[in-house]
Amino acid sequence: MHGIPPVRPEAKRRSFQLSDQQVGLLFMLPFLVTAAAFMIWPVAEAVRMAFFAYNPLRPDDVRWVGLDNFERILDDPLFWESLRQALVWTGWSILLQTILGVALAMLLHVSLPGIALFRGLLLFPYIVPTVVIALNWRWIFNSEIGIVNHALLSLGVIDQNIAWLSTPDMAMASAILLNVWKYTPFVIICVLARLQTIPTELYDAAKVDGAGAWRRFLDITLPMLKEVLVVVIVFRTIWTFNKFEEIYLLTRGGPGTSTFNLAVYAFEEGMANLRLGVAAAAGVIMIALLLVGTIVYVRVSGFGQEEKAT
Amino acid sequence: MTARAALGRVALYALLAAVTFVVCFPLVWAFFTSMKPKDEIFFWPPTLWPSTWTLENYRALLQGKDAYFQAGSATGGQAPPSAFFLDWFLNSVIVTLGTTVISTVVSTLAAYSLTRFRFPGQRAVPYLALVGYMVPSIIFVFPMFLLMADLRLTDTLLSLILGYVCITLPFCMWLMWAFFRGVPIEIEEAALVDGASRLRVFWEIVLPTAWPGIVAAAIFTLIVSWNDYLFGRVFMNSMENLPLTVGVMHFFDGTHVDWGLMMASSVLMTVPMAILFMALQRHLVAGFGAGAVKG
Amino acid sequence: MDVRIQGLSKSFGSNQVLKSLDMTFPEQRFVTLLGPSGCGKTTLLRMIAGLERATAGEIYFGGRRVDHLSPGDRNIAMVFQSYALYPTMDVAANIGYGLKVRGVPRAERSEKVGAVAKVLEIGKLLSRKPRALSGGQRQRVALGRAMVRKPDIFLMDEPLSNLDAKLRATMRGELKRFHLDLETTSIYVTHDQLEAMTMSDLVAVMDQGVVQQFATPEEVYDRPANLFVAGFIGSPPMNFAEVELASENGAPVLRLAGRAMPAPPQFDLSGAPRALVLGVRPQDVRMAAPEEAHAIPGTVWMTELIGSERLIEVEVAAKLRITAEVRSEVRATLNAAVAVAFDPSRLHLFDPGSGRALPRLGGRERAG
Repeated sequence: MHGIPPVRPEAKRRSFQLSDQQVGLLFMLPFLVTAAAFMIWPVAEAVRMAFFAYNPLRPDDVRWVGLDNFERILDDPLFWESLRQALVWTGWSILLQTILGVALAMLLHVSLPGIALFRGLLLFPYIVPTVVIALNWRWIFNSEIGIVNHALLSLGVIDQNIAWLSTPDMAMASAILLNVWKYTPFVIICVLARLQTIPTELYDAAKVDGAGAWRRFLDITLPMLKEVLVVVIVFRTIWTFNKFEEIYLLTRGGPGTSTFNLAVYAFEEGMANLRLGVAAAAGVIMIALLLVGTIVYVRVSGFGQEEKAT
Repeated sequence: MTARAALGRVALYALLAAVTFVVCFPLVWAFFTSMKPKDEIFFWPPTLWPSTWTLENYRALLQGKDAYFQAGSATGGQAPPSAFFLDWFLNSVIVTLGTTVISTVVSTLAAYSLTRFRFPGQRAVPYLALVGYMVPSIIFVFPMFLLMADLRLTDTLLSLILGYVCITLPFCMWLMWAFFRGVPIEIEEAALVDGASRLRVFWEIVLPTAWPGIVAAAIFTLIVSWNDYLFGRVFMNSMENLPLTVGVMHFFDGTHVDWGLMMASSVLMTVPMAILFMALQRHLVAGFGAGAVKG
Repeated sequence: MDVRIQGLSKSFGSNQVLKSLDMTFPEQRFVTLLGPSGCGKTTLLRMIAGLERATAGEIYFGGRRVDHLSPGDRNIAMVFQSYALYPTMDVAANIGYGLKVRGVPRAERSEKVGAVAKVLEIGKLLSRKPRALSGGQRQRVALGRAMVRKPDIFLMDEPLSNLDAKLRATMRGELKRFHLDLETTSIYVTHDQLEAMTMSDLVAVMDQGVVQQFATPEEVYDRPANLFVAGFIGSPPMNFAEVELASENGAPVLRLAGRAMPAPPQFDLSGAPRALVLGVRPQDVRMAAPEEAHAIPGTVWMTELIGSERLIEVEVAAKLRITAEVRSEVRATLNAAVAVAFDPSRLHLFDPGSGRALPRLGGRERAG
């Protein structure tokens, strides 16, 4: 015990020390409280509400209605229309994002001066508030004085103004375009990150074997991208399917109900029609669809596999 | 360089320029529009470059509601939505910062605990966070609203903070969990051997090491809570309590839409995020690498 | 200060990694825990450090029981395999952290850090971050962190495994030197027998949570206690062959591949089973003429030149090959008929049932 720096008496010091278990629990406590109060409880409550008639203006009159809310939804043509439109909206968004994302990533997978800066710039659309994009979209796609119509007219692509946001098909197309603008960069970044990890020897080997550029893309690049693409597509599908703000802020679901999806449907039931029970039931249906998506994700990504191994 | 390679390079730069144009155009156009006087905005064909540069739109947004009330007679005693812009801006700042502090602190502590201590149910928590991370806000929002009503918190900034904590915490938790799993525990053990207590190890060794992860979680939280519309729309009533996102949509309420004001507020809403983006771009990409970012 | 462990066990769930160990690490000695990965050596070290709690058993430092103490209260220092330098602190702060935690004033701290840095020749690096250091420099900082505290016990967990071969050789000498300067009890974990042999006063060879032999490096090499130790220590590994103990003209002989050779005189063969395992190191095998008495004939199966030596593998029976390490001048043609002969005094005999070495005459046997 030579030359040890003097320390405070051991017994005194130890009484201030927390045991590992206590520290672990202490650190966990805020999360557990928050999760219980603001995450688990609301979801449980959302499920419970689905079986009640619930009008926020008459909080005393809450009635158990069993499966009435679900029946009502399943009988509602608007629900089916919303579901159909949600599928159209999701399908086109994901398709365009994936194709554009992979194509641009392939082209950007080069070493050029300033390319890193450019890749950073690609994340910019993500940080722009959806409200801002929706406002800008309404402005540039304005049918009378919008710059897009002006540009298309001057280029001779069209000969009269297009009513971008006030005809059903065009409104849906504009919404999809907004989604593609905002989220394609993500696909690009994910794919680029994966591309950078593909060993160049693989391409050299394929060249030695006599494979052309297209074959190399099909036989090397695409299989290597499969994993990341599956994850990206599943994630993006789940979130796009449930998107609310991108559509609501751009078109409010209109014209008419032509751009309703399930999220807008649930919002309108709850907010405009004050039928919180019906909104909750729509939410439950969304959760059910979501669970399917989650299971698919867990399966394809192998999430948790390594956990079991350790 | 061969001619073909040079051509390829030119084509590539042209493509980069095109993508940059598409990414930047909506906001650049918003900026030009916001600098035009009211009548010029309605010119057809539209002027690309403002013929007269003016700050009148920004002035209208930034002068605050006192100015309107002083000039009350002119507007019939009723302040227009633009009078509340400064209030909204401040609300958004408060809510965003509050959410960010709570979410990062809570998730950092919990994620550390999950990766370093043993207790029952430990493995279930990241899974639950993953599920929570995928639940769309539209499902949370009405039960949360009723909860806030029970707690008499509706129409307060606190209700928004709690709402945003609930939608950002799962991802922050997941991100920090992934991060701490990658931090070698040996560093902490070395500090324990050096004689530091658990709490001291956390404060002096773990937190500085975890800083990049914390920054990534904070950026995510900042973006989500600054950009959200839904919770603000459902929870808040009074004009002066709205967050920016909900507030500016009131510009559509009138019979005539003032695009100049609208584009000026677009620009002002984006500026804080753009500054953040430029300052922390490196971390943003790093956080992005930690997992797909919710959007 | 000596370290004594008593009945120490450790289980992770149903997996028992240490099985009731009793051993004493003598004061100021350099003891190596050597074994293949998963043998429990690192777990033992971490329990001595206090980073892992024992399932059962006790640990004493110089007679004081320490297994309830946290690592910081044991006055130990530890060098980790990855060095575990604090990434956000510069070198000076890394070395001085243990002192800072103990409330040593800044001036005294920087003086001690400076002194240690001087000894380790890293004085110029004090304001650098670990990221900006080479492997060898990180190694030195990790050592400095241990030295500055003047610990009672100095623990090292494979500290050289991340270095390149050349640096590893120099650091072996330096580590031994630090141990002597520190005047502490050192416990060193490695799977590299060369490190164990060159640096240690005592080697504990471990396998499957049990100490197979605990002795000096010479003893472990010359008189391995069992088949595991015999096979684990030595490069190239020891040759093993099943032999039959018989008697010819009243003298005990070993029958191998149809030939008989006199049984090695150093073993006590009374009570030995008829079937035995013979062990002989390649260094103790020589090439012989096929007609030589007691030589075992065979054919050359493979030769390898390893610098000044040559390894010749001779197939003496089906599936039985004996490797000889001979001087490189000795030539051998593939498939040529040759013979090998052993130095009887350098043979090892094991009981195949228990795996233990047969007892040696003269009472010099020390089992693990």
